[in-house]
Amino acid sequence: MTVTRSQIIHRLRGIMARTATTQHDWDRVGEEDAIAALGIDSLAMLDFVYDIQQEFGIQFEAHELVEVTTVGKLATFIGERTTA
Amino acid sequence: MKRLRHLLEYAAVRTLLLLVDLLPVRAAVALAHGIGDLSWLLMFRRRRVAIDNLLRAGIAPDARTARGLSRAAFRHFVRVVVTSIKSDAHWRRHPWQECVEWQIPAEVAALLDDPQQGVILASGHLGSWEIGAQVLSHRKPVLGITRRINNPYIDRLMQRRKPRHRFELTPKRDADLGRLVGALGAGKALAIMIDTHARERGMVVDFFGRPASSHTAIALLHLVTRKPIVFGWCREVAPMRFRFHATGPFRFAPTGDKQRDVRVILEQLNRELETAVRSCQDQYMWGHRRWRVPADVAPTGP
Repeated sequence: MTVTRSQIIHRLRGIMARTATTQHDWDRVGEEDAIAALGIDSLAMLDFVYDIQQEFGIQFEAHELVEVTTVGKLATFIGERTTA
Repeated sequence: MKRLRHLLEYAAVRTLLLLVDLLPVRAAVALAHGIGDLSWLLMFRRRRVAIDNLLRAGIAPDARTARGLSRAAFRHFVRVVVTSIKSDAHWRRHPWQECVEWQIPAEVAALLDDPQQGVILASGHLGSWEIGAQVLSHRKPVLGITRRINNPYIDRLMQRRKPRHRFELTPKRDADLGRLVGALGAGKALAIMIDTHARERGMVVDFFGRPASSHTAIALLHLVTRKPIVFGWCREVAPMRFRFHATGPFRFAPTGDKQRDVRVILEQLNRELETAVRSCQDQYMWGHRRWRVPADVAPTGP
């Protein structure tokens, strides 16, 4: 089943709300927001990657995410793998 | 005032390093035992923690035995530092292969000897952990995650002295995920000590029948990278002769229940550590504070 970009971002907001170390108005988090600025430190990043892999049912090498710096880029990264 | 204290501590450590470098191995070990005994006498709070932990673990049946074992553990801790300092010079004269026996399963040996295979190495403050990382680095490059020392001068000194051969260190606070998973992707062993207190971001699991704080990072790293975990530790069996033990490899598939997945892994690793500690009770850092968890927290099964 194809997941739309807006659905990906909506689900990402939910994952980030669970794993981030700081609180934000998650409904207002958008494509341009930097992941690092949302309270995802290295330990939270491990939680985050686990949740992404499970939520979207995708497999990837964790280091592939190193270059993925914003929510929008992450949505693209996930979109490419869910439609692959 | 703090800077002066740090400088005085640094001067003492430099003097000690110089002395250890100059002394032959047996004399350096004797010095280590003396310093260990002195530390045991002076560091009364840590001594009390160690004695209490030995009693609570059921390792020591009475206070007298616990005192004896805690003293041996203090001696051993200083000996670990001293043998680590001496190892470089020693192995320039004696090939390291002659000084190390490997007691590891064939599957672990195959992983260690595969240059493409990243491995997560779980270990604890048991036996000769510094030497363990060094000897392992002869088979596979090792990246160790280390805690910064409070004294910045000693910390810088240790950062210069500790890395040897293919053994590098990364401070825990600076350990970004990219570097850690990059090391695993490059076929290195990522060495993580599993027996430190994780504070508010850990999970409480059973260790010697008592709830103990455990870092979750090792389990999550395994679950997201799928790199095998090996539990390894190294024991000094004679002066400057070591035996490297390992169990595993351990592989766990993620189920979607993250808490359960992490708990299963941490429980397995803590069981491995407990078994290893039982086999050499006087070579464990009993002054740990992992059992300092809130009274109402108890490990629960998956």
